[in-house]
Amino acid sequence: MKFSDLSLNKKLALLAFLLGVIAVFGGNAHNKQQLVVDTAELANQINQTNDGINVIALADKIIKGQADFRLIDLRAEKKFNEYHVPSAENIMVSGFNDIDMPRNEKYYLISDNDILTGQAWALLRAKGYKAVYVIEGGIKEWENSILFPKISANATPNEISEFNKIKEVSMFFGGQPQSVVDSAVTETKISMSKPSMPASVPLKKSVKKKKEGC
Amino acid sequence: MSENIENHTFKRKPYWNPYVAGIGLGLVLLAAFVIMGRGLGASGAMSSLVAYTTSVVAPEHAQNNEFYKEYLGDGSKNPLKDWLVFEVLGVIVGGFISGVFAGRIKKDIDKGPNIKTGSRLIFALLGGGLMGFGAKLAGGCTSGMALTGGALLSVGGWAFMLSVFAGGYAIAYFFRRLWI
Amino acid sequence: MIAPFYKFDMFGFDTSLVIAFIIGIGFGFFLEKAGFGSARKLAAQFYFKDLAVFKVMFTAIITAMLGIFFLSWFGFLDHSLLYISNTYLLPQIVGGLILGIGFVIGGYCPGTSTVAMATGKIDALIFIIGVIGGIFVYAEMYPIMGDFAKSTNMGRLTLMDISGIPFGIIVFAVVLMAVGGFAGAGWVEKKFGYKDEEKIS
Repeated sequence: MKFSDLSLNKKLALLAFLLGVIAVFGGNAHNKQQLVVDTAELANQINQTNDGINVIALADKIIKGQADFRLIDLRAEKKFNEYHVPSAENIMVSGFNDIDMPRNEKYYLISDNDILTGQAWALLRAKGYKAVYVIEGGIKEWENSILFPKISANATPNEISEFNKIKEVSMFFGGQPQSVVDSAVTETKISMSKPSMPASVPLKKSVKKKKEGC
Repeated sequence: MSENIENHTFKRKPYWNPYVAGIGLGLVLLAAFVIMGRGLGASGAMSSLVAYTTSVVAPEHAQNNEFYKEYLGDGSKNPLKDWLVFEVLGVIVGGFISGVFAGRIKKDIDKGPNIKTGSRLIFALLGGGLMGFGAKLAGGCTSGMALTGGALLSVGGWAFMLSVFAGGYAIAYFFRRLWI
Repeated sequence: MIAPFYKFDMFGFDTSLVIAFIIGIGFGFFLEKAGFGSARKLAAQFYFKDLAVFKVMFTAIITAMLGIFFLSWFGFLDHSLLYISNTYLLPQIVGGLILGIGFVIGGYCPGTSTVAMATGKIDALIFIIGVIGGIFVYAEMYPIMGDFAKSTNMGRLTLMDISGIPFGIIVFAVVLMAVGGFAGAGWVEKKFGYKDEEKIS
């Protein structure tokens, strides 16, 4: 019985079956982990682009509910669970290959180790991600400027009005602004539970429009 | 001569071999995956329409409802400017084009031989209502969840698909007058 | 890897809408070619008279599935970037049952109803009005239904995830199942299906 003697349907069935058998040898159809990196281009990007975002700008965006970015917290899960910036996602560098990270989204990277954040930035850039930014100062800067902003007893009127603005932002995130009498600041440990958020802050997920569902 | 051609082109033609049509459909689905990274859908477009209409007629009510909010987003964009809405518009055009070339455009009410038109229309309305409700509960309809979810081997997609067939077969006997 | 193109930033949102329209044309075209613009043909599935619904759906599924598999294997497509909606097991099963019931009563599903409407079926238009009504009822009931609808969230879950069986073997199993199903469908149609004169074509 020649192949051409079979009816169309049987031919299609045979083709499907064949493809199915071949598929068995494809395992998980794993994507290649190797890339071609244009090192000159990458060096250029490192030199030219200004990829820092300061914590106040970030706080501002969160308060305004501008959900056009993904805030990636690179720290270990335990530290993330102790405290993280509202709307952050916990993805460690090791998870970059597994997690859904489309290249047409904006990524803000934050951690408690500036070197790590820089390395993650370079890794994503090398993989071709274009919109990758670093939160300047990381979690420590967030703590110092947003959660626990300090003002000294002999501040100028300018500094005081700046501080008052920050105070509002800080309270929004459940922080505790403090004024210090002398320059010795006692290290304030962040309490175990996340600072509670005002009910009206829409955490990014719920405001984000249903993008790809049916 | 031209009369013959016209008859031939627009005479009602038989449907395609289902397997061939299925391959065509599968390739369209694959194209969506390769180009957009997402699958097809239909009920989502109708949901956007409902959300949009509600937001125009009763904006505050829409803002206070979690369901509408999902389709309205943060208000920066018209909910009708949505991938699925445009896709469904395309479906209408595509169906029409195919119908024209197959001679199948006809104002008609599709029903079995043993039921009155009026009853058919009432059941169409009722069936549609159940469809809409069920689709939203499941998060998709046959195009979105079953076809797309099925091709992607999603557990939810397959569970959904089996449930649809189960529900249909379970109730078919009671509504046979509609169709056969 | 350069696909999915949109997620590799090859074009913007507005262009994606044009693409949506074009893809939709293809979708509607093949649905109509399969005869899915006819409620009678669709419903015939549930009376074992015409199993086109099963044949078309599963052919489409294995075609796309094989396409995804092989394109990923060749390194063209990054399948981790394909959007898979979360599995909410219970609501999806209940919703599916309701949908199946609505399918038999109404004779269409949302996609096929738009195709039928495009070819002139009044009942399809009424059906769509019903769908919109059903969505509206659901939306208004959402404050009560919401919790149920988001229950049993198992996240992005594939058959590979739940079974630990590699992608390729699942592909093979699904193909086998489908082809076996097609053979079975042929047999069922011979036994219960419309005699040639009655056939819906």
